[in-house]
Amino acid sequence: MSIRIQASTRETDGPLLELEDVRTHFQTPRGVVRAVDGVSLQLERGKALGIVGESGSGKTILSRSIMGLLPPRGTIRQGSIRFEGREIGGLSRRAMRDVWGKEMAMIFQDPMTSLNPLMKIGAQIAEPLRIHLDMPKALAWTTAEKLMQDVRIPAPGRRLQQYPHEMSGGMRQRIMIAIAMACGPTLLLADEPTTALDVTVQAQILDLLGEQRRDRNMSLLLVTHDLGVVAGHTDDIGVMYGGKLVEMAPTAELFANMKMPYTEALLQSIPKLADVSHTRLNVISGRPPDLVNPPAGCRFSPRCPYVQPRCREEEPPLIPTVEDPRHTYACWYPVGSPQYLETKERRRREAEVAA
Amino acid sequence: MTATLTPTPTPTGTVVYAKARRKVPQLGWMFGAAWLTVLGICAFAANYLPFIRSYDAKIQVNGRAKKYGLGPGWTAWFGTDNSSHDVFARCIYGARQTLIIGIGATIIGLTVGGLLGVLAGYYRGWADRVVSIVVDCLLALPPLLLALLLIQRSDQIKESITAIAWLTRSEEIMITLGILSIAPFARIVRAQTLALRERDFVLAARSVGAKPRRVIWREIMPNLVPAMVTVAVTGLGILIAAEGTLAFLGLGVERPQTWGKMIDASRDDLGKAWWAAIFPCLFLFLTVLSFNFIGDRLARKFDIREAAV
Amino acid sequence: MRYLLQRLLQFAIVFFLVTFGVMVFMRIGMNKPGDPALTMLGGTVRLDQAEAVNARYHLNGNVFGQYWFWLEKMFRGDFGVSVQQNTTVAKYLSGRVLVTIFLGFYAVLWALIIAIPTAVYQAYKRDSRFDRGGNFLSFLFVSLPALVLAPFIIFLFVVKLGWFPRTGEKVMPWDDLGAHFRNFFLPVVVLTLPLAAIFARLLRGDMIQTLQSDFITLASAKGVPPGRVLWTHALRNSLFSLLTSVGVQLGGIVGGALVVEQYFNMKGMGSLLLTSILSKDLFVVQSVTAIVVAVVCVANLVIDLLYAVIDPRIRHARALT
Repeated sequence: MSIRIQASTRETDGPLLELEDVRTHFQTPRGVVRAVDGVSLQLERGKALGIVGESGSGKTILSRSIMGLLPPRGTIRQGSIRFEGREIGGLSRRAMRDVWGKEMAMIFQDPMTSLNPLMKIGAQIAEPLRIHLDMPKALAWTTAEKLMQDVRIPAPGRRLQQYPHEMSGGMRQRIMIAIAMACGPTLLLADEPTTALDVTVQAQILDLLGEQRRDRNMSLLLVTHDLGVVAGHTDDIGVMYGGKLVEMAPTAELFANMKMPYTEALLQSIPKLADVSHTRLNVISGRPPDLVNPPAGCRFSPRCPYVQPRCREEEPPLIPTVEDPRHTYACWYPVGSPQYLETKERRRREAEVAA
Repeated sequence: MTATLTPTPTPTGTVVYAKARRKVPQLGWMFGAAWLTVLGICAFAANYLPFIRSYDAKIQVNGRAKKYGLGPGWTAWFGTDNSSHDVFARCIYGARQTLIIGIGATIIGLTVGGLLGVLAGYYRGWADRVVSIVVDCLLALPPLLLALLLIQRSDQIKESITAIAWLTRSEEIMITLGILSIAPFARIVRAQTLALRERDFVLAARSVGAKPRRVIWREIMPNLVPAMVTVAVTGLGILIAAEGTLAFLGLGVERPQTWGKMIDASRDDLGKAWWAAIFPCLFLFLTVLSFNFIGDRLARKFDIREAAV
Repeated sequence: MRYLLQRLLQFAIVFFLVTFGVMVFMRIGMNKPGDPALTMLGGTVRLDQAEAVNARYHLNGNVFGQYWFWLEKMFRGDFGVSVQQNTTVAKYLSGRVLVTIFLGFYAVLWALIIAIPTAVYQAYKRDSRFDRGGNFLSFLFVSLPALVLAPFIIFLFVVKLGWFPRTGEKVMPWDDLGAHFRNFFLPVVVLTLPLAAIFARLLRGDMIQTLQSDFITLASAKGVPPGRVLWTHALRNSLFSLLTSVGVQLGGIVGGALVVEQYFNMKGMGSLLLTSILSKDLFVVQSVTAIVVAVVCVANLVIDLLYAVIDPRIRHARALT
């Protein structure tokens, strides 16, 4: 048994979330940090979008920008964020409060620190229900119990009365999902929801998220550094680097036909089961770009193994591929291009000579 | 919800929430340093500075030494007190006495308290338990009460323990205040040591078989210095206030008298001659404030969370 | 529960050690028989008189015996006699303890009433003008011990403005409420301001730290209004240093009360303590320290209890050291 609470009036057509040239910069003593620097994307209703990138690629700030949960001081926001056809990019925190929890909810990375240690689990789940839906206390707590059932917490009636420190990390992340789900939001932002968890628990949480998303016809924005996490759980994948989207495609298309050397490098850095043990792990050399003074041209150029002179001078635009218009990438010499193949061949020969 | 079906609104322009934090120049500690420097120089060079009268100089008005004869003015900057002495000069001499007592007490407290704290924090177990009980006992007794007891009994103690009979009144007060500051110092140092002993470099030294004494002196002590200096500076302010309070209650040094004594002497005449009590108050306040400012600055610099002293 | 028992035991040990220590300390240098009584009586007394006093108040024999005698009597409510004042300690104390208790109670109460909202709002509007102003003021008041603050306050409100009486005669609230508050107002202000400054600085620091934690962001992301985020989620998680500090400051308040009672000519426990220590009134000193230490210990025990009420982790910890 599962309960459905959804805000009553909902538009049914058009994408749920549209970002247009979103920029989020921070003023710091070192200069302006361009954490998110011109991101445009769309998210359809009921779909899941994965945003992948290293730490420092701006993916977390992107999800916080959508929520509007940014530090109030020294933040510069530009661009348009439309949610259900409504512009929310410039809304104040006060105005966003009606959206938070009710229509948009967020799950954080570390379940150990994301729950109030001094409040009963039940009260924490019931809180958004009481605030947004004006539920009386008793009803809110019964609803909370049902929500806990939905996220597969055994003995929810007893767990309601417990405090966070009495639960494991996986359990707490389920609670987080229950809290996020409470008011039936149309958009769920999950920021590295499995990073802090054991590998065995990770899959359970991801499955739970997928199942809840389908049950509630909710859209999901899944932010992670792990391509493996998004592979089986999202419809589309966007790859971020240095505050920009560098490649975006439906999941299957991306894995079959990736264009951006960075995406390729990310994928190669995941160890595969098929590898012989003690295979050298492929790492991306160098460090993520400095977001105060980003490199000229393509931001990946200083670390790209296939870099050409043009990459260091001109910034590549985000263009669709010939085969699939939904697949866009930003690279002058994408995977499969003659220059790419030539460099790759040269590398291979050099490696052979060295060996 | 129909309104939102209209064509999508134009992208919002720049939304700057607020200006980033500007760096505010920290004037507080500069003021503190300046005040303490000037006060220190005046206090210790008082005998040679022409604008400071001698301690015993009486100022006569119309040929007579009158009680509260002069208000603040050119002749006596801060006026004269009930025995027609120059309040300004007495403030300066009081500063010398109070600074000496405060610094001496801090050294005593820091040495004993620091030692106890390090031992308790490093060896833990029994050493820790004993030190903790001593500290708890010292803290359970209001500091002022303890000070009163110690000073009042000091004559009798000197009689029975002849080895310390040579102590002067100011040394007694110094030692008393030193004893008072043992507990807070020990507590802070203990907490710091507990944290330090689990740090990698200390563990490394221990794992290669360094003797405890060596670990304490070479690895732990140097890393305690920032915390100790910070606490000592903040503590100095508190000790000077405590010295003032003791003097106010009649347990001060007779000569040269300190600020607390001056306040006590003229506190009932605030209506007649406010200057005689207010100026020593101001000196005490500015000195404590200066130590607090500098202590705060150090705490920020070394990233030490304030500990309640 | 075990945690509380442990604390209880600890406070009991401290209480006995301190009272015993004070008693021994008061007797240092009294080697000859009859010394305590001589000290207590002061002046010239015939030896047989002194002996009689000694025998009556059990001032002979070893210290442990004397301690036990005193302790046992005290727990039965007999605090002994004040030889100087020629009355029993209980009678001597009774009128005065209340004055100091009122002073301390009002001071802590007002300090908290002032400090908590100020610190919460300061932390919320960090680096705003309000925050900076608050920081500056708290810095000033932390550096203004009762000794220094009192003359300023007296000069302004009594001498210049004449709003309040200088002498705070002890008027109990049940006698005349108006006069009670009028007399206590200035002394309490003098005690409150530095205390409020200390509390506000501590709480502000903790609040700022708490406000940066993930669960506060989550609370906002749930759509919880900022007022509730601050007062329910953040404040409860930031109260620990403040509570500890209230316990630590209690001892300081006794000292502050002593000074304030001198300034305002109030006949409280502080002035009594001062006279009894100066005149070596053994039983009075012993009783007063015992009361003060007991109050401090009980208050700290209550604070430990409050920790447990606030934080389920402490409640659930089976063994905490």
